[in-house]
Amino acid sequence: MRSPEPSGVEVFVKDRELVVPGQPLARGPIRPQRNVYKDKMGITRATRVGLVEIGGGRVGLIPLRGVYVPKIGDLVIGKVEGISPRIVLLDISSFHRGVMLMPKKTRGRRMVFPSTPKYEELKPGDVVLAKVRSSDGASDPLLTIRGEGLGKLRSGYLMEIEASKVPRALGKRHSMLSLIKERLKCDLVIGQNGIVWVGTDDPRVIGVLERALRKIEKESHVAGLTERIGKLLDSFEARPSK
Amino acid sequence: MNPLFIEKKPERLIEKDGTRIDGRKPDEMRSIRMEVGPLKKANGSAYLEWGGNAVLAGVYGPREVHPRHMALPDRALLRCRYSLAPFSVPERKRPGPDRRSVELSKVIREALLPSVFAEKYPNTSIDIFIEVLRADAGTRVAGVSAASLALSDAGIPLRGLVAACATGRVGDSILLDLGHEEDMWGDADLPLAMLMETKEITLLQADGTLSPEQFKQALDLALKGCEHVYKIQIEALKRPYVSVRRELEEG
Repeated sequence: MRSPEPSGVEVFVKDRELVVPGQPLARGPIRPQRNVYKDKMGITRATRVGLVEIGGGRVGLIPLRGVYVPKIGDLVIGKVEGISPRIVLLDISSFHRGVMLMPKKTRGRRMVFPSTPKYEELKPGDVVLAKVRSSDGASDPLLTIRGEGLGKLRSGYLMEIEASKVPRALGKRHSMLSLIKERLKCDLVIGQNGIVWVGTDDPRVIGVLERALRKIEKESHVAGLTERIGKLLDSFEARPSK
Repeated sequence: MNPLFIEKKPERLIEKDGTRIDGRKPDEMRSIRMEVGPLKKANGSAYLEWGGNAVLAGVYGPREVHPRHMALPDRALLRCRYSLAPFSVPERKRPGPDRRSVELSKVIREALLPSVFAEKYPNTSIDIFIEVLRADAGTRVAGVSAASLALSDAGIPLRGLVAACATGRVGDSILLDLGHEEDMWGDADLPLAMLMETKEITLLQADGTLSPEQFKQALDLALKGCEHVYKIQIEALKRPYVSVRRELEEG
């Protein structure tokens, strides 16, 4: 249960209400969070179509539409577009290209670029799981594949989901992701940029996952999504692993 | 021009009892239908039918700017293309931009720009394409209304929706939402677009002559029209989500 609003705040909407851009949410001393703005009259308004998050002296909005905006720490799946001795460019289905810098070292007064096996093996067209190291929104974000589990993705199958629906596809503390992985008995990575990698070629698993992703996209704004996805996965009897 | 296409000026555009040529009252609008998301490959889209007009708007972006030298370092570049389809008018229109489309693209872009938080996406472009599939007077206001809806469908942060509507004068009467004949043979035409929540006017043009009193009356009437359009825009934006929720609740 969220704490009540501080005095002097007039609230115009309910928590989890569907709102449209410009719709007034609250008036008075309330802290605007993401996807809202305060106008000249001191009214906090929505900037996108989404669900209101209000309580504890704060008001924000969960967007239902929009492209992926890289944030530091995000795990993304990208495709190698180009390689030079010092830079790897990745298509991360955003408005900026992902840039990976080759690891570098100073040897005496010279800068050297000792290639590590992870970078060495990359070729244009490869699919890579990377982490966003820095992003300022105005220039290309810096990515890295240093770290466990990061790097080139071998075999498997790629799918897509709307980037704005990724938080729902992952679920609270990754509850939805674990549910899908457990029921389908397969490796699954959902990139924050909306690219989904599944570590199997089994058409039955891919078919069910595709249906689950489309269902998440369509019904993400209605409560009880995890149970509905659970039901959909019930119909799937996973093959015994070989 | 094919003589079949030469339109004759009607004897009267407005009856003595105030009824207009298409049977509407002076402050009555044509029927409007809006739909969000008809184009699956665009980031956002909207389809609008307004009387005899049919307009399709698509929004792509924020995306990389091409050519790159046009990129703005502190905000997104908003581009707009208004285009009349060759089959949208009685006589085939030569495809491609002409003087009128270039002007309309410019005024529509400027009508939408105040609503967009362009500074959120520096070095990117937001491209709006407005395709008029059937033209029947008032395509610029229909274009603005559809494009604003498409921008919102693309998830681009907006200060609010822009709704637009035209009014005009026929003789001494001020009429809301001019039809084809009234637009062609009327005495004045006043399209208006507005950021509805803050009541900021983002487009105001006038063609013909209006006295100061008539102008005020026309402006008030246009405001009323915009309110009506705005209600339909909100309903169209919420409809896909509301219908899914209802479907699930009903099982």
